[in-house]
Amino acid sequence: MMVSIGDLTTKEIPQWCPGCGNFNIISAVKAALAKVGAETHNTVVVSGIGCSGKSPHYLRTYGFEALHGRVLPVATGIKLANRKLTVIGMGGDGDGYGIGLNHLIHTCRRNINMTYIVHNNGIYGLTTGQASPTTIKGTKTKSTPHGVIEQPIHPLALAITSDATFVARVYTGNLPHMINVLTEAIKHRGFALVDALQLCPSWNKVNTPEWYKTRIYDINKEGHDVTDKMKAYEKALEDVNTGYAKVPIGVFYQVQRPTYDDELPQVSKQELVEQDMRHIDLSKTLKEFE
Amino acid sequence: MAAFTWKIGGEAGFGIMGSGLLFGKVFTRTGYYAHIYSEYPSLIKGGHNTTLVRLSDKPVYLPPYTSDLVVALDKFAVEAHIPHLSQNGGLIYDSKDADLSNVQIPESVQLYDVPLLELAQKAGGDMLMRNTVAIGASLALLNYPLDQFNDIIRETFGKKGGAIIDININAAKNGYDYIKSKYDISKFPFKFAPNPNAQHKLVMTGNEAISAGAIQAGVKFFSAYPMTPASSILHYMASKELEHNIVVKHCEDEIAAMNMAIGASFAGVRSMTSTSGGGFSLKTEALGMAAMTETPVVVVLSQRTGPSTGMPTWTEQADLRFAIHASQGDFLRVVVAPGDVAEAFTLTQKAFNLAEKYQIPVIILSDKFLSESYSSVDKSELKVLPIERGKLITEDMPPLKPQEKFKRYEFTDDGVSPRPLPGIIGGEHVSSSYEHWENTFSTEHFETRKKMVDKRARKITLLEKELDPPTVHGPKDAELTLVCWGSHKHIVFEAVDRLNAEGIKVNALHFAFVHPLPPSAYEMLKSAKKLVIVENNSTAQFGGYLKEHAGVAFAGSILRYDGRQLFVDDVYSSTKSILEGKAKDIAIVDKEPVEFYTASFVR
Repeated sequence: MMVSIGDLTTKEIPQWCPGCGNFNIISAVKAALAKVGAETHNTVVVSGIGCSGKSPHYLRTYGFEALHGRVLPVATGIKLANRKLTVIGMGGDGDGYGIGLNHLIHTCRRNINMTYIVHNNGIYGLTTGQASPTTIKGTKTKSTPHGVIEQPIHPLALAITSDATFVARVYTGNLPHMINVLTEAIKHRGFALVDALQLCPSWNKVNTPEWYKTRIYDINKEGHDVTDKMKAYEKALEDVNTGYAKVPIGVFYQVQRPTYDDELPQVSKQELVEQDMRHIDLSKTLKEFE
Repeated sequence: MAAFTWKIGGEAGFGIMGSGLLFGKVFTRTGYYAHIYSEYPSLIKGGHNTTLVRLSDKPVYLPPYTSDLVVALDKFAVEAHIPHLSQNGGLIYDSKDADLSNVQIPESVQLYDVPLLELAQKAGGDMLMRNTVAIGASLALLNYPLDQFNDIIRETFGKKGGAIIDININAAKNGYDYIKSKYDISKFPFKFAPNPNAQHKLVMTGNEAISAGAIQAGVKFFSAYPMTPASSILHYMASKELEHNIVVKHCEDEIAAMNMAIGASFAGVRSMTSTSGGGFSLKTEALGMAAMTETPVVVVLSQRTGPSTGMPTWTEQADLRFAIHASQGDFLRVVVAPGDVAEAFTLTQKAFNLAEKYQIPVIILSDKFLSESYSSVDKSELKVLPIERGKLITEDMPPLKPQEKFKRYEFTDDGVSPRPLPGIIGGEHVSSSYEHWENTFSTEHFETRKKMVDKRARKITLLEKELDPPTVHGPKDAELTLVCWGSHKHIVFEAVDRLNAEGIKVNALHFAFVHPLPPSAYEMLKSAKKLVIVENNSTAQFGGYLKEHAGVAFAGSILRYDGRQLFVDDVYSSTKSILEGKAKDIAIVDKEPVEFYTASFVR
């Protein structure tokens, strides 16, 4: 039985600020889940800590609100235990590109069959406005009153070099595009990173709707070949942080390769969670100790 | 028959530790018990390795200070181990490798100069085969036939093909024949006779017993990052992943390992992770998450010396308080410290049952001494426990009523709430690291916060009834009670036996469940006439814990924190000193030649 957007809605009132990009991300996730025919009981949304961390509470699915930066290992454990579940990870740019960046690289190369949406607003919102790994160099924030010194991270380029099989960027100001890309990401067999450029009206006064309006363009409308890794990499480096005037969105890279669990004979016949654990015969195993 | 100890020492890389296992198994297949203990420095290559094999017709669990027969593969081994030879002990060496002209050797020592390399080469082997020659020579001195050893060679090298088997069998025979032809073996005081009909005993390390216990308990997901002395759990689990359908993941770090294990458990499988103190430091944040989300998880913490990197290949019991208190906030967890291989097997299964029934993290506390030492056990000692999964809601149960969010954290009398697995219709909920309402939404409502803390805490009422009481060893009406925990069980028990044999009435109290305390422990501690704490750390961590929780006082302490576990001799002589009023708090230290510990003699 396919879910409707209504089935996915909880009565909990979102805690986000008015104008926050998270509202549209949640709307897009609901719409995409409905489009792919997901079921509420077979969907798990895993979040970390930050504004994005609240997401599971506003979706009537299973959820796990984990620790800051640890979305991906928790989601990996869930997916490997029961591959029948649709697993969606959500974290912010601090969560996924800062404290938890290590896990992103390894989850990319593992090709865990799940979707990871990074709510990338270029700032720490929940902790009231400190620089994040994607804050533009020079930006003055509470933790960088004299301006950020480091170069911002290039998450899509990082994911492509780490052999993620689906790498995309969306903009929370463009809901229809976001729904389409998220639908493709959830349908993708393998690890899908969706970097969601997110408005933060409370703390990010640089990347405003006006700022994005003149810069965003959809690379898929320009005949970008999503299977061309080098082209995808070039596009992934093409943003205002590297001297370009424009910010590309769309699907940058998509290829097929076996998922991590495809190469696990342990789960080829039955999910781990379905396997009999009450009749384990250790006699052969113990004999080796004689 | 008194116990007999064989020791082999030489440069790392020459199969010292493997030889110990092969030698021990000769006897555990023919009616004897063995304990096999190795020491090795934390060097990438080289250094001096030793393995002690203690044999007896009664169960043995630990190495003694003294050995009865030493195989010295180089001159340093002779110098290092001569002082630890027992009266009338024997030394097998090769005078071509070790010139003994400048080495002081007590007259009582019986020297067996065996051309180890020459006999190995005669069999078609090389330097690596000297151990095999030495085992053959040792068996000749014990007047023990070679048949069992030959069988073990065939099994061990079976996959590699015929030639290597023949070379090893011939090498062993060369050593055996050399001793029989050159020496009068009746002068060597130790002799063994095989019982070919005896049931083979199992020879396992603590880590193998923990791993086998986890497999028996139905573990389906195991994630870890290598760290001595826990790494062999990862290796063993990985070697069995296809045989028992377990997903074994070597993760990018310990943080990922812990979080993955929790994720897999949330999805409904039994999961485990293992590490040592440094890795456990990284796991602590997620340990608290397991507690807050009420997700079962089993964590093995195999201790080594700390703080920080410490001495990676040496042992200590100094992470007890860390395990009890790790992670922010008040929360319930169980810390269980098995005392031997059989307990490691059984209590690991129990750890999984407790974790799932009470939806809490359970920490299995081992250490290098238990984790890496081999012990023989009768198969019957490896008890299989029924699997208890607690209030799990699975697909074979009546369907749930659809609701907005399932009350995953429902207030119940016993504090344990029903737990639907993802995939169950109507069970949708968020497992949340935030404080939460019963229906899993986040809250900062004071009254609910307090009720949730109390709900999680009151699980202890039923839980503590399941904790095995401490084991008493020795006479009930003892003048003095030695209190110990974890790996030091048999070290203290054996010291108690020796003291009682001299008419000194002492007993021992061993705790496997160290936190929370089993309810019976309080009375047992209070009824003791005089308590002395025995621990492998510098601050008597468990002693302090007992003072705090049971209100007891200790008349003395026997501690050791130089990198080795306590030896029976330490406990025996220290207890005597305390009883005679000569000492109160004793810290043991070994004095070995300094080269023993450094790379400076690598050659």
